[in-house]
Parts: sequence; structure tokens; C-alpha cells
Amino acid sequence: MDLAVDIVKSGNRNQTEQFVRNKLHNSIVAACLSVRMPEGQAETTAHAVCDGVIVWLQQRPEVTSQDIRTVATRHLKSYHPEAAYLYEQQHMII
Amino acid sequence: MGIPNSLAIIALAALIHASFQLSVSVLTLLSSHTLSTKQTQAKLLRLTTGFLVGAGIMTVLLLSFTSLVLLHVFGTETPQFIWAAGCGLLVGVAVSIWLFYFRREKGTMLWIPRSIATYLTERIQSTKLSAEAFGLGLSSIIGEILFIIAPLVMAALVLIHLPPMWQLAGIGIYTVISLLSLIIVWVLIGSGHSISQIQKWRESNKHFLQFAAGAGLIVLVFFVYVNEILGNTVGGI
Repeated sequence: MDLAVDIVKSGNRNQTEQFVRNKLHNSIVAACLSVRMPEGQAETTAHAVCDGVIVWLQQRPEVTSQDIRTVATRHLKSYHPEAAYLYEQQHMII
Repeated sequence: MGIPNSLAIIALAALIHASFQLSVSVLTLLSSHTLSTKQTQAKLLRLTTGFLVGAGIMTVLLLSFTSLVLLHVFGTETPQFIWAAGCGLLVGVAVSIWLFYFRREKGTMLWIPRSIATYLTERIQSTKLSAEAFGLGLSSIIGEILFIIAPLVMAALVLIHLPPMWQLAGIGIYTVISLLSLIIVWVLIGSGHSISQIQKWRESNKHFLQFAAGAGLIVLVFFVYVNEILGNTVGGI
């Protein structure tokens, strides 16, 4: 389920795009697999985190990509703190 | 300068080189990306080994090339003002490292041009073959050249005074020691350690690494200054 929410991309405040659940799901699965989580558990965790982010998004018409990352990290932390840490750090390593 | 002193300077320069973090960041991100694309541990090991070999080859090439240029320009008798200029370069780089090396925000982002960081990130995401990982190893060393140029030039200045066989040994010592941090991360990843633990350690110790790299350069300046400038001046008098 995709929502009619505009996502403001970081670094380019004029550029927006629609929220796509699959994109968020894939990025969370990637973070989970990076910490060697089994594939099935990674999928289940990503579903749960996406659901949490969508509930948060339903009251907001426009958010930044950084907001989504922060909320997703908060939800992921309750399932797997290490995966949450790596998800948060992905764009801050180099 | 005797052979033991020369090798000690080369080893210290290499240790300072090893404390720079761009290659380690790239290796961490490469491993994280490889695992996230459901690759096997064997594939991960092949890619990280390719990266390590690439970084090693580029270090050998850079050190040999710098030594060759210095040898052609100055011969085996390096003028004292070049040693003094080298010391000045080291002090400048040390202060820059203390002030700028890591960005003042979360994570381990470095003060390198963002275009280089973006290029490396894009290359990491499209790396699927060992040959590509090898190329990434070569590029990551080029990417940190702004910082490694100081220990590299100092090691090259010392190398050109050594007899040919000791020059080869010096290049070998420099390369192995400068790759130590990469080798440690490679072993940790290869033995199944969590990448988030490695990144967590790097993030919590980044200020120490920054201080150590700068302080190492100052120690190297002191060592070279006493041996090459003060030693010759006092000896000359």
C-alpha cells in the first residue's frame, strides 16, 4: 500500500517524490541482511517496521526522507538494535 | 642516517598511513552491501580480498613512483631544504587532520570531496566481481591521497638513500604496515564478525584515531628533523 505523502529528498528541498512502501521495505531488508539476519526474519522485520512507519505517515502530508529514516530506525531498534544502527549509519560511513 | 633509523621512519610513516580511514570505510561499506545482496560468505571473502590486493598494489605503485620522481630530481643526496619542506608539509597535514579529518556529525564521514565519496559509494553498489573490487581498492587509495601524501613523501625521501635491496625491503615494510588496519577489518569480516560492531567501534573511537594520526605525524616530524636537519647541521659545524 502506497500513501499520498510527498517525500522531500535530502539535499534537494525542491525535489519531492511519492512514498513507496517497497523502497522502504527493501532498504530495511538490506540493513537486516547486512547484520547476517536470516532472510525470513529480515522480511518479517521489514514488514513490521514498514507498518509502523505508515501509521506515523498517515497524519502527515509531507515529510523529509531523513524523517522517514529516523522513524524507521526507531521502529527497527525494537526488533534488532544492530540492524537499526547500520540502517542509520548507511549514509554516514564514507 | 643508518639502515635501522631509516626503516624505523618508514615503519612509523606506514603506521600513520594505516590510521587513515577512507579505505576502511570503503571496505566496511563494500562488505555491508555484499551481505545485503544475499551473496555467500565465499563471495564476500573474494570481493574483500580483491579490494585488499588492489589497495596494496596502489600503495606499492604510489610509493615507488614518488621515490622514482624524487630520485630523478634530487639524486641520492636530498638537499636539506627539501627535508625542511617535507617537515613543513607533515606539520600542515597534522594540523589539518586534527581540525578537519572527520566531519562534526554522527557517523564516520570524512572531509574528502563529496564527489569522491559519491563516486566510491556508487562503485561499491555496482561491485559484483573481484576485478571490480580490485579497482575499488586502487581508487580508495587515490581518494585519500590528500592525507597519505605526507607520510608517503617522507617514506620516499628516506627510501632513496637506502641500498637497492633495502629499498625493496622498505617498500615491502611500508605496504604491509600501511595495510594493517585493512587486514584487521578483512580478518574480522572474514571470520563472521558483525559489520555493525566494526562500524560502532570506528564511530566511538574516531576522535582517538584522528588525534593519533595527527600526533603520529608530529612525532615523525620530530624524528626526521632531529636526524636529518639538526644532526647534519650540528655534525657540519
